[in-house]
Amino acid sequence: MDDTSKNPGAETDEQLMVEFSRGSTDAFSALFMRYQQPLYGFFYRRVANPAQAEELTQETFLAVLRASSRYRQSALFRTWLYAIGFRILRAHRRKAAFRGTFLGTPPADYEPATQSSIEVEVLMRDAVGKLERLDREVLMLREFEQLSYAEIAALLNLPLNTVRSRLFRARMALHGLLAAPAPQSSAQNLAQSEERI
Amino acid sequence: MTTTSHPVAPEDVMAFFDGELSAAGAQAVSAHLALCAECSRLAEQLRVASQSISRWIAPAVPKKLEDTMKNLTAKTLPGPKAGKADSSMRINFWNWRLWAIGGGGALVAVLALVIFAIAMTSYENHREVMLSRSSGLAAIDDRAETRIPAGKPRAMNALEAPPPPSAAKGLAGGGGESRDHAASSAAPAPMIARTVSLTIVVKDFAAARASLDNILARHHGYAAQLTVSTPENAARSFQASLRVPAPELSSALGDFKALGSVENESQSGEEVTQQHTDLVQRLKTARDTEERFRAILQQRTGKLEEVLEVEEQIARVRGEIEGMEAELKTLEHRVDFATVDLQLIEEYSARLSSPSASVSNRMHNAFIAGLSNAAATLLGIVLFLEEYGPVLLIWLVILGVPIVLIWRRYRRMRAKV
Repeated sequence: MDDTSKNPGAETDEQLMVEFSRGSTDAFSALFMRYQQPLYGFFYRRVANPAQAEELTQETFLAVLRASSRYRQSALFRTWLYAIGFRILRAHRRKAAFRGTFLGTPPADYEPATQSSIEVEVLMRDAVGKLERLDREVLMLREFEQLSYAEIAALLNLPLNTVRSRLFRARMALHGLLAAPAPQSSAQNLAQSEERI
Repeated sequence: MTTTSHPVAPEDVMAFFDGELSAAGAQAVSAHLALCAECSRLAEQLRVASQSISRWIAPAVPKKLEDTMKNLTAKTLPGPKAGKADSSMRINFWNWRLWAIGGGGALVAVLALVIFAIAMTSYENHREVMLSRSSGLAAIDDRAETRIPAGKPRAMNALEAPPPPSAAKGLAGGGGESRDHAASSAAPAPMIARTVSLTIVVKDFAAARASLDNILARHHGYAAQLTVSTPENAARSFQASLRVPAPELSSALGDFKALGSVENESQSGEEVTQQHTDLVQRLKTARDTEERFRAILQQRTGKLEEVLEVEEQIARVRGEIEGMEAELKTLEHRVDFATVDLQLIEEYSARLSSPSASVSNRMHNAFIAGLSNAAATLLGIVLFLEEYGPVLLIWLVILGVPIVLIWRRYRRMRAKV
């Protein structure tokens, strides 16, 4: 008998997803435990409001719940999950932009005073926010989500060489930005950098 | 650092640290790094950048997310149904599928409406044509009409039965005596001018055309009017207004129907007995008047003016008599000769025909046609712009400016999110 069937922790993501698609709630719980933090981080670094990040994380897992029957084992679960996350993120951005355009609602209701004032986060948000949009996505997917070049290429629908060159450009730009004199840490600065990301 | 001075690309150095190179590639980059200070510095810069960004750590997931997900999972599972929307999920307004389905549905509905409208218009037109035809026929004679459905020839009705009352020929001079006699009798036979309309579909058009001439000759009839249409790549047709002696109408119709299959047939008869009697009486009176004038002229003498006046009166009455005689002749001719409106249609079967013109000729013609079409289109566009350009410009300004402003704002907001 296969050992992995006894211990959900030893099973691959894809095996768990197959089990989940057959109705195993334990398999989904295991996947949720594995990916709740990375996925929350994924949204946390891309939207201005942590509450929105939480909401989007929840929406992504709900989408996984609903789309489980359509999952094919040939696809890497991680890539599939982040693809869903990206779709939800894009929809969120469009909605926010629509509201901002027609209803006058500001796109971010971030309150700096209630957030962490860690210097690193301020610096990073500011630096990453200055990168070109696609370079930024490639860099963040590589550094935080630890996706391979091929996975990034599949996710963003880009050629592999473009991913390599954009990642190189983003890293060099980031090195240059971080090497420059550090900006002053202020709530205003944090809010501005939030908006750019 | 350039690839001309270094055997490895800077991206390869980065890929080496990311573990994205093949074993051979990794070995080559590693060996180069050991020798090249510049590439080592680059590798260091990349490493520092990666290390710096990795210090940006997201906070732990809020505990309530886990609880919420547990609740939602319990609600949704077991057996999540594909495509079944969870009530807890909000409908995504931006879902492109919704737009696609909605747009497609709207397009189909519009197309269905357009097709329905076209079909209704066509049906109405067809109905109007049919109604106008029926009313036209009814006007010919509202007393008797028989209509036989296509493909179902039936026996002649009673209208065909009575033979024409006019047997005497010639009306000049005393030629109208027998008719006058008939008119003065107590119960004159009814005089009916008959009209038959026939549509026949024939297989062999040329043979049918020849047979038609034979039928007419056999029954002593003639063609009053004749039109033959022979379009290319379409069914030929023949339309004629025939005159057939009334006594032979029945047998002639039988011969006509034998030419092919009857698609449509209608018959009508107009009774002209009263009209004929009136005309005969008026003619008789006019002749008597003429006789009296002539007698006056012969028996009495007077002034020249009086003589001229009597001659004038005689000429006037003579003119009236001749007009009435012609009218009477036409009327009797209508009774003696029935009118048959015959339409022969070829049962057309398409044939593969060889090109009539050479390829180069056709290409030349097509080119010329294309040029003239292009010119017509361009002219149409110019005319359209001349006619509607100012209005379009006004609407462009009215709608364009807000759209551009909204789009810019949307782009700005989109960049901020």
